[in-house]
Amino acid sequence: MSTLIRAAFSAFRVSMRLRVVSPYAYLNWLVFPLLFTTVGLYVLSRPGAPVSHLAYGVLGGGLIGYWTVAYLDGGNGIQDERWNGTLEQIFAVPTPLVVILFGKVTGSLLFGILSFIPTVALAYFGFHALLPHVDALRFAISLGVLSFSFFAIALTLTPLFALWRWAFQMLNGFELGVYVLCGFMFPVAIIAPWAQGIADTLAPTWAIRAIYAATTTEGAHDYFTWWLAAIALSLGYLVGAYFLYRLVEKHARMSGDLALA
Amino acid sequence: MESAAIEARALRKTYVTTRGVLRRTRVERIALRGVDLAIRRGELFGLLGPNGAGKTTMVKIFTTLLLPSSGSAAILGLDAVKDPWAIRKRIGFVFGGERGLYWRLSGLDNLRYFADLYRIPPQISRRRIAELLDRLGLAGRERDKVEHYSRGMKQRLHLARGLLNDPEVLFLDEPTIGLDPVGARELRLIVRELADTGTTIFLTTHYMFEADAICDRIAVIKNGSIVAEGTPSSIKGVVENQGVVEFEVVGMPADRLVGLRGLPGVSSVVVSEHDLAQVVTVQCARPADVMTQLGMVLGGLTLSKVSSREPTLEDAYVQLIGESL
Repeated sequence: MSTLIRAAFSAFRVSMRLRVVSPYAYLNWLVFPLLFTTVGLYVLSRPGAPVSHLAYGVLGGGLIGYWTVAYLDGGNGIQDERWNGTLEQIFAVPTPLVVILFGKVTGSLLFGILSFIPTVALAYFGFHALLPHVDALRFAISLGVLSFSFFAIALTLTPLFALWRWAFQMLNGFELGVYVLCGFMFPVAIIAPWAQGIADTLAPTWAIRAIYAATTTEGAHDYFTWWLAAIALSLGYLVGAYFLYRLVEKHARMSGDLALA
Repeated sequence: MESAAIEARALRKTYVTTRGVLRRTRVERIALRGVDLAIRRGELFGLLGPNGAGKTTMVKIFTTLLLPSSGSAAILGLDAVKDPWAIRKRIGFVFGGERGLYWRLSGLDNLRYFADLYRIPPQISRRRIAELLDRLGLAGRERDKVEHYSRGMKQRLHLARGLLNDPEVLFLDEPTIGLDPVGARELRLIVRELADTGTTIFLTTHYMFEADAICDRIAVIKNGSIVAEGTPSSIKGVVENQGVVEFEVVGMPADRLVGLRGLPGVSSVVVSEHDLAQVVTVQCARPADVMTQLGMVLGGLTLSKVSSREPTLEDAYVQLIGESL
């Protein structure tokens, strides 16, 4: 068991070191979130805009950055491994792929959460945007629940990148869909009812609802239900992941698709 | 009775892909056609064959990266399909070429990472990495990024990675490809030393002299089937009663080539480009007779460097593979 933990930690450490030296990683956690925050705050901090919506401008860019890095960096990492020729190498070691990806996804989460630093700083120093009614404890718990939901989705979907090269393009669309459906930069209540039904099956929707509720005294504050919904859905994804990993390991050995040539 | 280190029985592999965009059609490509093979423990076994013959597919099945379509493969008595985790702990593998390493990390970081993935306890991996760096001539450069390594250093780092878990069986898939002659020779010496200390080695290569120089036994694979198997000298026996006539010519017309192939006793004619000239290698039963008839068949052409020699393993290989141009 200790060797498995060590393997996961080693995968985490290597993924962090590779990110630090990759210019592409800075786009996802720094450049894009700042752009989203700038646009969001420009719209939401104009005179006449509802004050309760300001939080979407302050936190939306950071949430997008966090999600993009947590989710998409796993896929980018797998694509890099394929191009480097290391995907086969890590597949053929005595450590299960899920353990290696556990370390990598944890690294993604840690790197992704850094997105909040530049975006919140931009909101404060650039737009003088403040959130005076933040409930720090509930905000922190909601962020933890959100992190767990991101972790569950990333861990579940990352092996698909290993198996199918086209999965990267397909799942890029999923990344954008989650921005909209889960209410990263605007309330889910304003999207079409049928889309809200889809949003309810996504764990981040509930965690983000709790996060934004923790920044204001207005509206409902049914934290416990929201946290429970996000955690239950995330656990459901992880159960699906168990079967998906078995499928991926078998299919990869049948098709030989881990290498480029 | 001790089980073989590597064993394949009726091993087949068919790759299934699709072709087309709107109307997708299923395409099957047979890579292995019922291969039988048994390699003893401690043996250095070489697998020779042209590109696409099935060498890498076989290595990938043995290293548990691929599942066979039918038949069985066993490593150290363990089933390669059912027991991949037990096998992975006891084998190492090295694929040729520069890829397969983290270029932006140091050589030491690469080895530490894979040592952890091989679940080697840290006190053992530290000692093992130091030994391997020293043995493979990488000590002193281990903290440099891999992107600053020469091709030979990268290949030695590959080998170090493959030896991290002190494997009982080591698979080397064209390990000397792209190396300069000195680097390739160094690597061959290391491989031979490993075999002498009891490691079973399965080596695939394009280079006949390499197989001839270091392998205990070799097999030749063609289109997914083993066409010959034995010691290098027994394989050479395929062309035992033959000799080789070689000469250089500039601008070899196709009709003359047909004429040359039609001479009595000629079994194969291979033409390879050499600067502006072509080197023609003729395998035949009676070299002296062929040399006397060259003038008749190739009259009007200027021949140079005409010689006759004993057949080599490469000649046997060409005969077996049937590659005549």
